[in-house]
Parts: sequence; structure tokens; C-alpha cells
Amino acid sequence: MAKNLSGDLSVASANRLTDGVVVFLDDSGEWTARLDRAAVARDKRSAEILLERAKTEAFSVVDPFLVAVAEDGDGAIEPISLREKIRAAGLTFDAIAADAVRYA
Amino acid sequence: MPDTHFYRYDDYDRTLVAERVEQFRDQVRRRLAGELTEEQFKPLRLTNGLYLQLHAYMLRIAIPYGTLSSRQLRKLADIARKYDRGYGHFTTRQNLQLNWIKLEDAPDALAALAEVDMHAMQTSGNVIRNVTADHFAGAAIDEIEDPRIWCEIVRQWSTLHPEFSFLPRKFKIAVTGSPNDRAAVRVHDIGLRLWRNAEGEVGFEVIVGGGLGRTPMIGKTLREFLPKDELLAYLEATLRIYNRYGRRDNLYKARIKILVHEIGAEKMREEVEAEYAEMKDGALKLPAETIEAIARQFAPPALPHRPAVVGAVEALKLEDRDFALWLKSNVSPHRMAGYRIVTASLKPAGAPPGDASSVQMEGVADIADAYSQGEIRVSHEQNLVFPHVAVEDLPVVWLALGRLGFAEANVGKITDIIACPGLDYCALANARSIPVAQSISNHFASLARQHDIGDLKIKISGCINACGHHHVGHIGILGVDKNGVELYQISLGGDVDFGKTALGTILGPAVAADKVVEAVDALVSTYLEARGEGERFVDTYRRIGAQPFKDRVYAAV
Amino acid sequence: MPLFRETGVVEDPWQRLDDEAPVPADGMVLVSFTRWREARAALLARRGPVGVALANTDPVETLASDTSRLDLIVLNFPKFSDGRAYSQARLLRERLGYQGELRAAGGVLLDQLPFMLRCGFDSFESEQKGFGEALAKARTLFSVVYQPTEDGRATASLLRLKRRNSTSVTPSEAPALSEAEARGP
Repeated sequence: MAKNLSGDLSVASANRLTDGVVVFLDDSGEWTARLDRAAVARDKRSAEILLERAKTEAFSVVDPFLVAVAEDGDGAIEPISLREKIRAAGLTFDAIAADAVRYA
Repeated sequence: MPDTHFYRYDDYDRTLVAERVEQFRDQVRRRLAGELTEEQFKPLRLTNGLYLQLHAYMLRIAIPYGTLSSRQLRKLADIARKYDRGYGHFTTRQNLQLNWIKLEDAPDALAALAEVDMHAMQTSGNVIRNVTADHFAGAAIDEIEDPRIWCEIVRQWSTLHPEFSFLPRKFKIAVTGSPNDRAAVRVHDIGLRLWRNAEGEVGFEVIVGGGLGRTPMIGKTLREFLPKDELLAYLEATLRIYNRYGRRDNLYKARIKILVHEIGAEKMREEVEAEYAEMKDGALKLPAETIEAIARQFAPPALPHRPAVVGAVEALKLEDRDFALWLKSNVSPHRMAGYRIVTASLKPAGAPPGDASSVQMEGVADIADAYSQGEIRVSHEQNLVFPHVAVEDLPVVWLALGRLGFAEANVGKITDIIACPGLDYCALANARSIPVAQSISNHFASLARQHDIGDLKIKISGCINACGHHHVGHIGILGVDKNGVELYQISLGGDVDFGKTALGTILGPAVAADKVVEAVDALVSTYLEARGEGERFVDTYRRIGAQPFKDRVYAAV
Repeated sequence: MPLFRETGVVEDPWQRLDDEAPVPADGMVLVSFTRWREARAALLARRGPVGVALANTDPVETLASDTSRLDLIVLNFPKFSDGRAYSQARLLRERLGYQGELRAAGGVLLDQLPFMLRCGFDSFESEQKGFGEALAKARTLFSVVYQPTEDGRATASLLRLKRRNSTSVTPSEAPALSEAEARGP
């Protein structure tokens, strides 16, 4: 995956107030759980504006902030830091299923 | 409420919990309506047990002194199923964490808890937290007095304490009733150790300022012998000194251990004793009747006499090697000869340590009802304990646990790993800990090998906050972040056996995630080759020092 | 800044005196702790009540011999999460026997009211919406308490002893009003 090396790409993220779900601000100023729908800021100034916008839409979320992302050749975005990758994608192992019982 | 052998809520306790739930319900309503900012709301939700983690809110349910009735455990299973994803995690402070709770459901979840006299009060926030005890309390052979009596007394005194609800930082208290401290009292903000003096009186040694985390410290003795009925006055004095003089300028220097370190144990003692002198014999003095009324509720069950030696058990031990190993590692002596204490290992090979599904919890509750007087304990090593199992019932319990996946014969062994949730769940973490635990666990899965290696405590933390207690692991592993890459720092020689409370020493440079198993393997090989007669890993380390281990590890990674 | 007592919003009759300003001959005068220590004798010699505003790091013990001569003490919460004033309040009420008005200022939020009331505060400066309504209900939000404070409420522990030793007493059968409760606005 070819990474965008300029390092200026970011999205705005937060946790939804009602249920804590990780959400991203989309182009229309709504919060979506889908990273692929997130509005991407491509330079520092746009990032500042994006964050400001996120803060004005913060009624339904907790503490919005910017997440640095990289874009691959196909235009798919992925967070750069491990923490944000995990936040976006979920657990890195299988949690035990609701009915995990082994039979002897 | 069916009879339990521990504190039973009365109408006063129930009323308080119910009123707290209603208060929180209104606070949530106001938050969702925008009448409270997050800054204003945060301490309110924290003191009702609700954290915001990476993916969701996490509810940390208090399990006072790690003791549960089967009815309570079933309710936890139910709540995990109804309001979460059908599983929970038992923590190093004997609590249960549910990782996927919704804020809007939290008041209902708390109301459900209240139905079985449980709550999530003060499991987070800058308040006095869940008071932990020895998970073998009331059943152990070496016990002087049941520490849980005092955990309950302190629990009530500390709940919604009007003066101490905005402390500089969290405050953790642990109590041990036995000289073999299984409650790690010397690494708590206050540790209480029950002991009997030369005059035959039982009182507390009060230890202050222990703790792990960024600046690990072993607690200092504040008072050698404190009469039991003065406990609350002494605690109130100590907390008042902390509330007034604990640092509030720096989050990382705000625990009482820093205050003790900065003013010295002697000065701390002076301050506390002066404050205590004003309070003793006052309203906080515990009437004998009050202590008695609570102590009575912890009276051990009248266990019917059961045979100490059982033919069928002896036979199975010879026939089935897994059963024999399980008896060795997971079964401990009990006060009564015809009984044992059984630990259910929540560390099956390759699984996230300390997790249990709702189905597994219900299975454990069933076993407890049939074979352990309806009672379960949570150890601070993230396992569950059946405190009163008849020797005769060991085979059937072993089989039942096996069906749940909780019969791995690894208690105290290398795969009985303590790990914090780490970066998979926790917003504070720098690195993941669960995958590391899983890879070590898989590598050493062979029971025969584990039993040959013997007692070895690996403790893993995903950040310096040390919720995995890595400082006091025989092998401690601390996840760090270096330029976005997870690295693991290894330390050796930590311990929490009373009298030997020791903090581990860092071995050398941190190793990459994919080298941790090799590093642990190198440590184990070094031990196996050098060990003397009867030496555990940590004994050999103390004898030969770090160098041989260091050489071997860094040659391998 | 609105001032509340349990009866509702009240006018603040106190005159806050700058550290540099001359001490008026009469009137209700509120001074800082610094000023109090410098001008104590002069302040007490005048007609008219005296009040002192403490920082939450000021040693309340210093006021030990004067508590009967002060009519107002203001304690401060620099942030609502800084809980030092709770200890100051209890020491003033319980150790030093202070019976005048005890006011909470600074970061004062309605969710802390049950704690503040139990510690002996009886007036509050707050701009938070809904504060007055919350204050009216705060004393009865919790009908059970575990800890003894100077508010005189019977603890669960005490009620249990009474219940065991006599006919039943429910949490709602509160003992006679303590001095603090009887003090009123």
C-alpha cells in the first residue's frame, strides 16, 4: 500500500455520546461510524477548519479531535497510529463469543 | 435473598444504592440533553463506574472483597448479555469490566445490578475505590481473621463520603487477614494487615503510600498496631491529611505515595497521628456490637463433615494425568480437611486472560450452587475461586470446569498470565497486552512443560499505569510506544508475597512484539539450566542475578 | 453571581473589601485571609459583622480562637474537582465549632450539593442553571448516609444499633434537628 508521504491528511473523530461508538465527521457535518465516509482534510489549514466544524457539531459526541491518516493508491484511508487503527477497526484478536463453551 | 456467608444488604444499603441509581439516571438525562458539559459530567459518570475507552464506554462493576453469590454471578451474566456483548473481564482489583456498554443503557444496567445488591459506585474517579481482600478469605488455613469484615466496614464508610469525593487522585485500600499476603497490601495507597500481638489482641498494621504505576513504591508502616475499633477514625485522619496536602498540580504526582515520599514517613505519621488524636474515641469509634453484627454475616458456612481421603479421587489421580496436574496447581488446602479451595483458571491456552462469557459465568454459578455453598471469589490474578469444595466432589467439579474451558491446570504457572486490557480496549495504553499474553500462552501450552517450569508469574501492562501489575511479576512485561511501534520492556524479580514485596528490575532494552515469546523462552531456558533443588524461577533469579538471563535474552532476540 | 441558601436566591448583604481599602467603621465586611491576619484587631474592634474568605490552602486552624466572632466564612473551590474545601468546612464546623454562615464559592456545581451540605456549607455562589431547584432537593436526595458529620444525621450504623436494641426505626424517622439544621438562613 503506497502511503501518502506528505503527512498532512487528517479526519475528525470522536466517540458518540449515547453509546461511545467511534465516529468520524463526514462532508455534510454528520457523524458516521464509517471511516471511508469521513471528510478528509488535506492540509493544515483545512484540518483546523475541520476540527472547528467538528467542535460545533459536538453536541452528540464526546471530545472531537483530529486523526492523522494516510491514503493508499486506491484512495482508501487508514489511520497512521496503531491506537487510531485499533479505534477504527476494532479488537486485534477474537473476543470470546457469547456462547463459547467447549465440550469435553 | 437466599442465605449467603458474607454481608447481606439491609434496607439501608438497598435504599442508598437505589437513590444513587436515580441520581445518576437524572445526571445522564441532563448530559444527553446538553445541560451538563462533558467536563462536568465526567466525574459523575466515573464515580458510577463508567469509563470511556477506545471503542465504547466500559462499566466497571464493584465486586466488594471479590466475593459473589451464585445469584449475583448469574445477574452479571444476564447484564453482560443484555447490555453488552455477552462477556466480561475480571480485573486485578477483583472487579468485573463490561466493555461495550451504552451510556443511555447505563442507568438500567445499574438498576439491574441493584436488584442483586450490587453497584458500580466509586470504581473509578478520584475517590476511595473498591476495597480488595484476600480471595481465599474465610477459607484459608493461615487466616487470623476474615479481612472481608473490615472491607465491608470500610466500604460503607467510604461510599459517598462527603469530604473525600474529590481527592487529588484515586485511593486504593487492601486488607489481608493472613501473614501470607495474597492481597498485595504493600502496593496499595493504604494496606491493612490483621495480626495478633503478644497480648493476644488482633489489630491492624497500617501501611501507607504503596503503589505501582509511573513511580512504583512499597508502602511504609504508618502504625504498627491499631486497635480494630479505631480503624475508621484512623482512616479518616489519613484521608483528611491526603485531601488537604496531596498534590493537585500534577496528575502524575498526586497519589498519596508521592506525599509520603516528599514529606517522609515520619512526618506523615506525625500529621496523621495528630489528626487521629482529635478523632479517636469520637463518632467513628466502632461499637463492638456493630463489628459483631457485620462479622457474624461472614461466619463460615457450617460445612458438613466430609472425608479427607477419598478412594475415587486417589484412583483418578493415578489414572488421569491432567486431573493429577490440576490437583497440584488449581487446588489449595482448606481450613477443613475434607475440603479444598478450587481455582477456576480463566487462562485457557490462547484466550484473552481473565475473560468469561455469560454462558461460562452461568456455568460457574451452577458449579458454585452444587459444590461450593453458592459462593464464588474473584482473585486479583483474574481467576475465579470456589472457596469450599469437598474433596469427594473434586472430580465432578474438574469435569464441569473442563466443559466450560476453565480447567486448565495452570494456576500460578507460566500461562496463568495477568494482563491488562491494553491498547485493544484502553485509551490510556501505549501497546497491546492481550495478543502478547495469547502468544506466550500458546507457546507454553504443554501442561507437562508448564509444571516442570513450575511457579512463574508473568504480568503484562500496556502502559506505565501498570494495571497489569507488571512491577511485581516474576517476569514483568511493559508495553511502550517508540515512534509508533510497540515495544516490550522486560523486568525480572518482582514479587508480592508479604515480607518479600519486591519491584522487578529492568533487564535491558525493550524488545519487539514478535520477539517477546523468544525472550520469555530464553528466560525460561536460562532458569531450567541453572536451577537448584526446589528453586522456582524467581529463586534462581535471586541467586544468580540478572546477567545470565540478560545474556541469553539478547543473544536470542 | 447569584447567592443561594436552601430557601432560595438571596441578596448578598456582605461588602467585599479590597486588601488595600480602608476598613469601614460599620457594615458587614468580608475580607481576605491576608487582610484578616494583618488587621484582625481593627476588624473586630468595629461595630458590624466580619467575614473572612479563605483560599483552600489557608490553614483554618488559625481561626480557632475567633470562630465565635465571625459571621461569614467563604471557602473556595478553584475547580469543582479540587476538594480541599470540604475538609476545611468540616474542620470549621466540627473541630472549631464555627456556627456562622459557611459559603461555598468558585467551582460550585449542583451535583456536589449533597456533599457540601453534609460538610456544613449553608450558602452557595453559583451561576449554574437549575442550581436553586437542585439545592431545594439536595438534602433529601439521599435518605441514607453512612458517615457521621456535624449535620447530625443518624448514620445507617447508628440506626441499625437502635433498631436492634428497641422497636424499629426507619431512615425517615430522623432524630431531632441538629443545631446546624436549626440554624437556618
